[in-house]
Amino acid sequence: MDPITIAKTARTPRVDFDFAKNQFVIAGESYPEDVSAFYGPLLQGISNFLDDLSNAEVSFRFELIYFNSSTAKIVMELFEALEEAAVSGNQVVITWVHEAGDDNIKELGEEFAEELNEAKFILEEIAI
Amino acid sequence: MSFDVFQREEAVIAQGRALLAAIADPATAAQYEELLKAYEKLSRTTRRLIKLSDRNEEQLNQLARTLNEKNATLETLSDKLSKYLSPQIYRSIFLGQHDDSLITRRKKLTVLFSDIKDFTETTEDLEPEDLAYHINTYLTEMSRIALAHGATIDKFIGDAIMMFFGDPESRGVKEDAAACLAMAIEMQHSARELRARMAASGFERPFQMRIGINTGYCNVGNFGSADRMDYTIIGSAVNLAARLQTHCDPDGILVSYETYVLVREMVDFEERKPVDLKGIRRKIKTFAVRSLNEPGPNAAHRLHCDQEGLKLSVDLAKMVGSARAEALHSLEGIVSRLRDLPEPASGGNAEPAVANSAMASAN
Repeated sequence: MDPITIAKTARTPRVDFDFAKNQFVIAGESYPEDVSAFYGPLLQGISNFLDDLSNAEVSFRFELIYFNSSTAKIVMELFEALEEAAVSGNQVVITWVHEAGDDNIKELGEEFAEELNEAKFILEEIAI
Repeated sequence: MSFDVFQREEAVIAQGRALLAAIADPATAAQYEELLKAYEKLSRTTRRLIKLSDRNEEQLNQLARTLNEKNATLETLSDKLSKYLSPQIYRSIFLGQHDDSLITRRKKLTVLFSDIKDFTETTEDLEPEDLAYHINTYLTEMSRIALAHGATIDKFIGDAIMMFFGDPESRGVKEDAAACLAMAIEMQHSARELRARMAASGFERPFQMRIGINTGYCNVGNFGSADRMDYTIIGSAVNLAARLQTHCDPDGILVSYETYVLVREMVDFEERKPVDLKGIRRKIKTFAVRSLNEPGPNAAHRLHCDQEGLKLSVDLAKMVGSARAEALHSLEGIVSRLRDLPEPASGGNAEPAVANSAMASAN
């Protein structure tokens, strides 16, 4: 699949999906005016990609600073898709990045991770 | 098909409907349908809550953006406003410590007035642009010095500046007077440099500044109306400082007796003849700063001691010949009496032991 690269805007995050390397990044703030229009193709693309994947290593980094409730729903969808890929035998690592002192983002990541059983979850703190 | 954030839930519901259609037993189908409807309702509720949450977040973000914009506007405005106020007054207003009612109080302040001698005549041949440039350069430099010394700049009156020490912050009456004199001296030094620059730039009659300083009780606070007020000072002590300035030599500093006694150790003063000042009944003793040498090299020849029970001022430049011998004799007498002075038995004051004659000589 062709990579998907989207530069960040005031309301949407930077997206870097490298399907060739199985590496995916979403970084920045996320409160799109139309969450379906922004995330629909991304979710569709990664779901199709994961469906066809076997015995692979997958890395997904979430570097979100701020996101709205609709984005939270999308993130949960992504976690679920990644967990399913892990259940299917892939080595899936989800890295949740939060700024030092941002307990809100840190706790959200921890809560989302409660639904994971097979995918590996890593919390990563970065300096502001 | 367009993407739906809840497409997974919709898929579950569709699957549930298909299963329901396949259930043959009516009782089981009814129970299953009840569960399915509860799930559908839960899904709709979640959808509504997310929509509501997004909308609230959007409004909060908008509010935050508006607040940021208003803060930026207020910051710009307060920055502009600060240039119209003395920094101390501005700070106390913005810290919420400033009372905006028409209340005044009495405080002992040291007040300074300065102006440019014959300003109108000096500048009548100047173009307005040149005049504005020169006067603003002069006032900017004087303000810089004033703020560095902690003066409260009360107002600019054309070429004149009115400043005071002792409010809203005071270091003590003596210290305030000393700071005011040190500032005045630096102002005159700086005015001299400015004059040289003005002359070099072709200005035929450069500025000569006069400074009057007085220390006394003033009424300080908000004066004016409830709608428009000035934080300023009034009182005869203020008038006296203004009048002193009019009697001052060009490039000089003239202080009242009240200020002189507080700062006489700092520099050399020359006592001038008492003068009658308009609006003040008594004759006013005045003292002119003889050499603008503080913190210049001549300050080193003066020794001072001011502590409880001991005040001493020595001008080493005058300690020659018999004056030196007499001073030594007086000081040795004082030291001898001090050495022999018994400690009080129970904290009471010792008997005055220093002979009047010795003190008189020391002074």
